[in-house]
Amino acid sequence: MAHRPRIGAEPILGLVIRRWWQFFLAAPLVGIGLTLGAGQALAISITPPSGVSPNGNAIYNLYLIISIPAIVVFVLVEALLLICVFRFRRSAQPPGYVPPQFHGNRPLEITWTVLPFLILVFIGVLSFRVLQQDFVRPSNAATGLALVVYAHQYGWEYDYPQGFSVQTEGLNAVQNPLVVPTGTLVRLQITSKDVIHSWWVPDITGKTDAVPGYYNYTWFKISKPGVWRGECAELCGSGHSSMQIRVEAVSPAQFRKWVAEQEAKAKTASVSPASRPVESRSAVAAATAASF
Amino acid sequence: MALTLAPPKPKSYDDTFFKPIALWLTTTDHKLIGIMYMTTGMIAFLIGGIFALVMRIQLAQPNEHVVSAELYNQMLSAHGTTMIFFFVTVFMTGIANYFVPIMVGARDMAFPRVNLLGFWLIPVSIVVYYMGFFTGGALNAGWTGYPPLTEKVANPGLGVDFWAVSLIIWAISGIMASVNFLTTIVALRAPGMTFRRLPLFVWAQISTSILLLIVGAPLAADLILLEFDRQFGTNFFTTVGRPVLYQHLFWFFGHPEVYIMILPGFGMISEIVPVFARKPIFGYSTMVAALFGIVFLSMGVWAHHMFTVGLNIYLETFFMAMTMLIAVPTGIKFFNWIATCWKGSITFDLPMKFAFGFMATFLLGGITGVYLASVPVDTQLHQSYFVVAHLHYVLFGGSVMTIFAGIYYWFPKITGRKLNKTLGEWHFWTVFVGFNATFLVMHTLGLEGMPRRIYTYPGGFGEQDWGPTNLVITIASFLVAISVLIFIYNLIYSWRNGEPAGDDPWQGNTLEWATSSPPPPYNFERVPPVRSYMPLRDLRRMRERAAQLERAAAPPPSTTSG
Ligand code: HEM
Ligand SMILES: [Cu+2]
Repeated sequence: MAHRPRIGAEPILGLVIRRWWQFFLAAPLVGIGLTLGAGQALAISITPPSGVSPNGNAIYNLYLIISIPAIVVFVLVEALLLICVFRFRRSAQPPGYVPPQFHGNRPLEITWTVLPFLILVFIGVLSFRVLQQDFVRPSNAATGLALVVYAHQYGWEYDYPQGFSVQTEGLNAVQNPLVVPTGTLVRLQITSKDVIHSWWVPDITGKTDAVPGYYNYTWFKISKPGVWRGECAELCGSGHSSMQIRVEAVSPAQFRKWVAEQEAKAKTASVSPASRPVESRSAVAAATAASF
Repeated sequence: MALTLAPPKPKSYDDTFFKPIALWLTTTDHKLIGIMYMTTGMIAFLIGGIFALVMRIQLAQPNEHVVSAELYNQMLSAHGTTMIFFFVTVFMTGIANYFVPIMVGARDMAFPRVNLLGFWLIPVSIVVYYMGFFTGGALNAGWTGYPPLTEKVANPGLGVDFWAVSLIIWAISGIMASVNFLTTIVALRAPGMTFRRLPLFVWAQISTSILLLIVGAPLAADLILLEFDRQFGTNFFTTVGRPVLYQHLFWFFGHPEVYIMILPGFGMISEIVPVFARKPIFGYSTMVAALFGIVFLSMGVWAHHMFTVGLNIYLETFFMAMTMLIAVPTGIKFFNWIATCWKGSITFDLPMKFAFGFMATFLLGGITGVYLASVPVDTQLHQSYFVVAHLHYVLFGGSVMTIFAGIYYWFPKITGRKLNKTLGEWHFWTVFVGFNATFLVMHTLGLEGMPRRIYTYPGGFGEQDWGPTNLVITIASFLVAISVLIFIYNLIYSWRNGEPAGDDPWQGNTLEWATSSPPPPYNFERVPPVRSYMPLRDLRRMRERAAQLERAAAPPPSTTSG
């Protein structure tokens, strides 16, 4: 720092802070403390959910890491602004004070170009590693359960490899959740039959768009049994807010039982529900062929 | 002196302002056109604000039904479109129209009649957009209007067509204005006004115009293709076409558009901060370089709006890197403003208050932007209320605060009167507190999983109940509304009754302060000599030195002091 902020002049701060480096150390700590404190006190979220699936959890961790330089930079710059307000206002300057007329300062300018750049490179590299790890289509071998998901206005259809499907329409997703086994890598292959939708269950992982014409992939591996809420995250018409999602994770044993039930139901039904997915799948295939 | 051809004495604008409408309809004076742009923008701001308030009432509690989902979607789209296209961009064009020619020492824009046409296309474009409301429903797909939702199958009404045509007209107007600004700045500069002496606001306008010139046409192209789909049955963006291609084209325009909305604001702050800190701007040439860094990078970041559509991860990494890089020149500008204030002798008149308000709030928008740039994190935050908070921090805390700062700074030049200070203080504190109370907590809604663009949310459905937070936001948004009313009242009140300002109320640095307030139709009787980027400060110093010399030359007092 070429110019030392003369914080000592400020009566209250001056009691504890006598050197500029103490200020640069204290300000971020106070900032992080305040942020965490406010989050706790008001019972509001200051991070995304920690993620019951490894990819959701990786996002959460990345968010936390980014938050450290973010809070430091935020607090420092706000503090510099406050110093300008209180220390460099005309009424705080000696009478007849004429400000020095400097036009620049090379070392300083290089510092505040290179330092942010390095911070950003750091964030970028970490983000890229998460991308490489968690944002590629899981191989068939790694996949425990491969589902095909069709979105439509305003519901979801999840086709199970066993030949039956879970279908939701608007709010009835609440009674009609997508059931998956815990501890199993579930791969979703997502597309849409009409407009663009987006599959988002915040507690599990980030969102994946359902775009007509091609498949998008996402996956999760839920660590504990439970029900998680989500909803469509891409404006898709007047029923958008009703386009709910529920994911219920059950133990693998329970899941097998549930699958058996569904298969029995499918058999007794007069029209095989399996015919629908097949038909829609070929429709998408045709659309895909037409556009590529 | 006596022999110079003096132009006829100007009629003062106080007379002409209330003169027949015909003058306003046909004037090619860049100042009157600038005022018309600004008035249009302000009206759009109020209309967009009313939509915002209705949306906030609808969202105040879970499961409310003040408006239907369909109407909510229309108001949402009208709010976004109005604020972005018809308020901020138009208002910035108005300020530039008024001040760029004066600041470079020109008498008018290079193409005054194109200027007039360009302006009148804006009300046309607004009227065309709003026709949708009277013909069965306006655009209802958000300001981005993604197909296939905007295709005929999903959206048979006329609203989408009106919107597309409206924005095509808007883009044409924008391109006209850009050509005009660039030509004016390149060709009509006063003697001595070299590029290295251009005020930073003018540099900002150069970069803005370059951006709009480049990206205006892709927007129009995108919408024309969409209209082909709708009217002639082509399949560019339908379910069997490539809906994602629309997004590429749209954001190739859309992301630079956010810089089109903020760069003039950066320019204004770069003018205001040195004047009120009584120091030269820190790092003039790095400020210009940063502007062009932003122009260049902003055309390579568009896909950061598309991190969830399933692009190749290496492509995503490229766009992530470019997006993060753009934080560097923006950061440079920030630090330069702070360094300009450093060791200054700052007076916090209202323009400076708003400049600081801008820096304090825009900073958070910049920082949340880095979170959004990180692809994995973005998949959580994208299309959630976190993004709504982010975009209001950069648009409201950014562009709108700079617009306020600019108005308080230049209102005296436009009207000859200062804005009332008491009302201005009330305006500042209500908007600063209200704005932050409204939008700061919105971040947490997004982190809790509330998507944007939902017209209602079920209460106590899952673990989270978003009701209380939303209620706080709605209440705070009314504080913002009150602040805007105070501001509008101040504008109207001070236009007639404000304290007379004189030609140079702030001891400015740039040429507009050399002429009368308001300036005559031809702007300058004589353009002062330009020997640096602060010609008016030079002039003041020269006068001071002359006065000193005079004092020195005067006969000494009778008692010599040695
Ligand atoms: C009192 C001030 C304001 C309030 C209360 C407000 C509120 C809102 C609300 C409730 C939404 C919709 C959120 C959603 O359902 O997704 C929204 C969206 C938006 N607002 Fe504002 N807003 C205000 C001012 C502004 C200003 C000044 C601008 C721009 C300069 C702006 C630009 C936008 C944009 C671009 C959107 C996105 C629209 C879309 O999703 O298509 N807003 N605002
Ligand atoms: Cu949807």
